Amino acid sequence: MSVIHAQSGGPAAGLLRRRGAGGELTRADRALRAVGAVAAAVPGALLAFLLIILVLTAIPAIVFSGLDFFTKSAFSLGNLYATTTVTHNGVAAPPGASYGGLAFIVGTLATSLIALALAVPISVGGVLILTEWFPRRVQNALSVFLELLAGIPSVVFGLWGVSIFGPWAAVHVYPTLSHVGAVVPWLKGPVGTGEGLLTASLVLTVMIIPIIASTTRELLRRVPILSREGALALGMTRHETVKVVTLPYIRTGIIAAALLGWARALGETIAVLLIIGNANVLPHTVFSQTGTIAATIAAVLDSALTDATGMGVHALAELGLFLLILSVITNLAGRLVVRRVTGGVLPVGRGI
Amino acid sequence: MRTGLLGGIALLGTLAVAACGGSSNATTPTPASGTPAAAATGNPTSAVTLHESGSSLLYPFLEELVAPLTQAYSNITLAPAPGGSGKGISDAIAGATSFGGSDAYLSPGQASQNATLENIPIAVSAQAVNYNLPGITNLKLSGGVLAKIYKGTITKWNDSAIAALNPGVTLPATGIIPVRRLDGSGDTFIFTSLLSATDPSWSSGPGFGTTINWPAVSSEQSAMGNPAMVATCSKSQNVGCVAYIGVSAEASALSAGLGEAELQNQAGNFVTPTQTAIEAAVAAAAGSTPANLRQSLIYSNGAQAYPIVNFEYIIVNTTQTDANTALAIRTFLSWAIDPNGGSQSQFLQKEDFVGLPSSVIPKVQAAIAAIKG
Repeated sequence: MSVIHAQSGGPAAGLLRRRGAGGELTRADRALRAVGAVAAAVPGALLAFLLIILVLTAIPAIVFSGLDFFTKSAFSLGNLYATTTVTHNGVAAPPGASYGGLAFIVGTLATSLIALALAVPISVGGVLILTEWFPRRVQNALSVFLELLAGIPSVVFGLWGVSIFGPWAAVHVYPTLSHVGAVVPWLKGPVGTGEGLLTASLVLTVMIIPIIASTTRELLRRVPILSREGALALGMTRHETVKVVTLPYIRTGIIAAALLGWARALGETIAVLLIIGNANVLPHTVFSQTGTIAATIAAVLDSALTDATGMGVHALAELGLFLLILSVITNLAGRLVVRRVTGGVLPVGRGI
Repeated sequence: MRTGLLGGIALLGTLAVAACGGSSNATTPTPASGTPAAAATGNPTSAVTLHESGSSLLYPFLEELVAPLTQAYSNITLAPAPGGSGKGISDAIAGATSFGGSDAYLSPGQASQNATLENIPIAVSAQAVNYNLPGITNLKLSGGVLAKIYKGTITKWNDSAIAALNPGVTLPATGIIPVRRLDGSGDTFIFTSLLSATDPSWSSGPGFGTTINWPAVSSEQSAMGNPAMVATCSKSQNVGCVAYIGVSAEASALSAGLGEAELQNQAGNFVTPTQTAIEAAVAAAAGSTPANLRQSLIYSNGAQAYPIVNFEYIIVNTTQTDANTALAIRTFLSWAIDPNGGSQSQFLQKEDFVGLPSSVIPKVQAAIAAIKG
């Protein structure tokens, strides 16, 4: 073991000298670096693995459907009990099979975007009001409440949506809303019995509010007290302080929180499966029954596994691949927006 | 850095091998058995648990058989689970369960791809069409009208097509709420088989299957499993709903206040799923059951035949991993179809099932004998 030479070079040089003349690391350091490197590689490796497996499984369906996947809304496994198969673009599928994903793509985007559009103002506005106007005790109670809400399993939301919220809303809320349909075509009736796009979006809103609200609350905590006190000292009202000091500070964080919420809404399976009606139709109004990619995969998988040609599973893999790519793109787009706004990295968990 | 990269690639490789390991299912087909020998049955030498998943229509019947089976053969324990016929078939193909339960027989494609898989009927069941219209009893419906309801062409109960089938009955102007199954369901298979048999545009359109492309109807509801169909249809806010429910859940449907519709059969008569009507349906078809036992009993001939009748199938692999498991499965199946065993009237009648007709039993026994370990 070498002796630490305290005089020359400072602590870094001393450290180097302690390790050995060539700058090698000790065994413990090497082990730590190896373990850390593997751990760091795992997320990337998993994403790559998932992507590769999905692409390989989806290729027959991609070849079969081509661009029809994006333009046609008819998704049907076909007649699995037929004795012949139909070949299209060199791929064999059951007769009557078509794997157009448009209805589910629109359903997925519509439910998640409506949920986001409702959840962000509610969460951010609600948390702002609570931190500015209410005492700390109430704020702490809110934190606990949000943590609890965020921890509720999705299937419970689905159950609540399908048995209580949906039917209640269909009788008490939607008819009134459909009167606005005279002006806004998307709100026209028939209202249905509670299963549909709007009910699913509203339940998704309730599910993503905790994520966005708790992240916003953490961000608000990190707004420097000095800036806010300075604003107060200058004679700004609470409203002006929020507008001029707080909001610009947390803006990018809210984008990050909204992305997290959107990611959850995109992938939500069981809650949406129970309340959206799973109809393979492009939604015309917010009350239409439609489907989302995640809900369709869950509902159709068992039957797709009985498809002897295997195309059922390939088609579902194509849907899953689209969802994965959509999630990756929205994440990257979010980062791009943040970079444009601040020129920095996504401040998840900290202010700029 | 190199260590990290190598480590990551090694991890990727291990995952890839693990994922791809269980995918191939190729098995060599066993030669067809020459003479229909009686299946060797008996109590296995060591305890065997037979896991089953699948049809929620068959599930209550299998639940009933658990205790008597172990009483008769102490080393065999049956562990059934619901989940839908689609799951039953796919689990059986994948080998995740000892066998699957299904209201639907194997498709030609599945049978040719999985040459060692058999579908063995153990009972005959039926399906009722229930409705939530307080005060209306003995509602008459036909496959053609039901197809229009589930397509959304008929939206109110007092529609002329329904009134034509029910002369003298005052039907309310309530909106119709069709309920359908979300999961891969044998009940969907047999219900849509009737719709396909009675409505040509349904046959060329949505067709039949455990999952189909249901036409969008704005008031529709969905449910997973027969009990959920009963629960959804009987909710007070769903007055006007119509649902297809397997007969094993019929007792709970009737006690929940739902009415049972009389369905029009091929002879033009309106029948409910009574024992006589089910037996009439299966008797009409029993003579022409093929050796592979894949037969639809939907909309069969017979003046009193009920139109939605089906065999309850056990989907099982003829090549089992060991002789003991094969013995356990053969024993269970032989006992299940025995009128002194699982097919006693007390077990069948509780689910409104009917035993296999005597003309089909020899073919079933031949199929059971083919299960070897």
